[in-house]
Amino acid sequence: MIKTTIPFGPQHPVLPEPLHLKLVMEDEKIVEAIPAIGYVHRGLEKLAEVKDFHQNVFLVERICGICSVQHAMAYVQGIETMMNIEIPDRAKYLRVIWAELHRIHSHLLWLGLFADAFGFEALFMQCWRDREKVMDIMEATSGARVVVSVNVVGGTKRDISSEHLAEIIRVVDQVKEDMKNMENAFLNDYTVKHRTVGVGHLTKEQAYSLGAVGPMARASGVAQDLRTLGYAAYNDLCFDMVVETAGDCWARTAVRLKEVYECVRLIKAAIDKLPKGDFAVPVKGNPTGEVISRVEQPRGEVLYYIKGNGTKNLDRLRVRTPTFANIPTLLVMLPGSQLADVPVLLLTIDPCISCTER
Amino acid sequence: MIENIAEITKDQLLGETQKMSGQNYRFVTTSCVDLGDGNLDVLYHFDKDAKLQNLRIKAKRGEEVPSISKIYLCAVLVENEMKELFGLNVTGMAIDYGGHMLLTPEALKNPQSKITIEQRGEK
Repeated sequence: MIKTTIPFGPQHPVLPEPLHLKLVMEDEKIVEAIPAIGYVHRGLEKLAEVKDFHQNVFLVERICGICSVQHAMAYVQGIETMMNIEIPDRAKYLRVIWAELHRIHSHLLWLGLFADAFGFEALFMQCWRDREKVMDIMEATSGARVVVSVNVVGGTKRDISSEHLAEIIRVVDQVKEDMKNMENAFLNDYTVKHRTVGVGHLTKEQAYSLGAVGPMARASGVAQDLRTLGYAAYNDLCFDMVVETAGDCWARTAVRLKEVYECVRLIKAAIDKLPKGDFAVPVKGNPTGEVISRVEQPRGEVLYYIKGNGTKNLDRLRVRTPTFANIPTLLVMLPGSQLADVPVLLLTIDPCISCTER
Repeated sequence: MIENIAEITKDQLLGETQKMSGQNYRFVTTSCVDLGDGNLDVLYHFDKDAKLQNLRIKAKRGEEVPSISKIYLCAVLVENEMKELFGLNVTGMAIDYGGHMLLTPEALKNPQSKITIEQRGEK
């Protein structure tokens, strides 16, 4: 059969950011797919070498707005390890609260985009309506909706008042109730299942050998979530990992959807156990040595390699983001799929190109 | 400060990586560090049960280093990235973007390497 090559992206209605796929087709079936990036690379790792290590917190938050809290967490935890800084317990819990709020709004963003990709506009709006409620909390507690800049080396920049904590509980309970109503549409609707069940299948072995992370890996049965390491306050909150085994687009949707419930539980547990006291300690000196810091972002594991030289500037800041790790899975998921399934399949890796092209 | 790190030579890289694969380690990524004297530190990070194991090789800029993408296909993106941004000459990559995965033809070569103002002026 004659093979044709179809370019998919970098500009496509389903892609909020530029990613290009070269799809080699036989009729409507994909036989080979080569991903291409490089449209918006910003060189932020290089910029980090000329900024003060305190300023880098704000820099890494701008790698990706949607997971900015987790980027900052990974960075400040790495610096704190290098400088032997023990942060107050309250700061650890506050970091978890903001991180899990970020995970909720990231997953709701993705669920909305995913609904939009398979043409369910009402579901898209429901998801984003709930996301707005979480963004309002962000604004109330930090002054910003997306890049909240609450993490600093030594703790957090601000506290959360008891009034705001009560409001957070009220809103996340409401989000949980709304998610229960939407769950049926995402996971059991006849038409939606036709677009997701069996599409983009990735086995457990493939997910592991291709280095998949986050919901991508967990939807294929790989029980891997760095929150089990117990960083920040996760050790005290009995974190429960969400794992599915089907390995298709349906399973990846199910993992993200069910993680919203776990986020709500973690936030409420963190508020319940929130210790009293300071939320930051003074920081003296400069970082020296090498450290690797990892945290679980909404899209999966992020790795920071940091090398300090005893001055205010770092020798090297290396960031491996989750989408960078998940792109290779497209090399095995796309071949064999139909062209019409590409938008839905591609979205299920939750591609964040601003992370990938940091 | 990094735990579980083994210093190896570039000739040992494929053998050690094969051992990692045999022990069911997942490839995480690599970190390339310009030491400022024309030498590069390359760290290969692997993970099993959320525990990291690291390999470190040293290489000169432009020196040939074998690709591990035949063992771990997922290494292909980061190897292309190191080749373009640091000038590490990774050979035998499963997919070779020819130096243009991230950079356009007119872009500064190896933009993430340490370069003095004098060197930049000469370019």
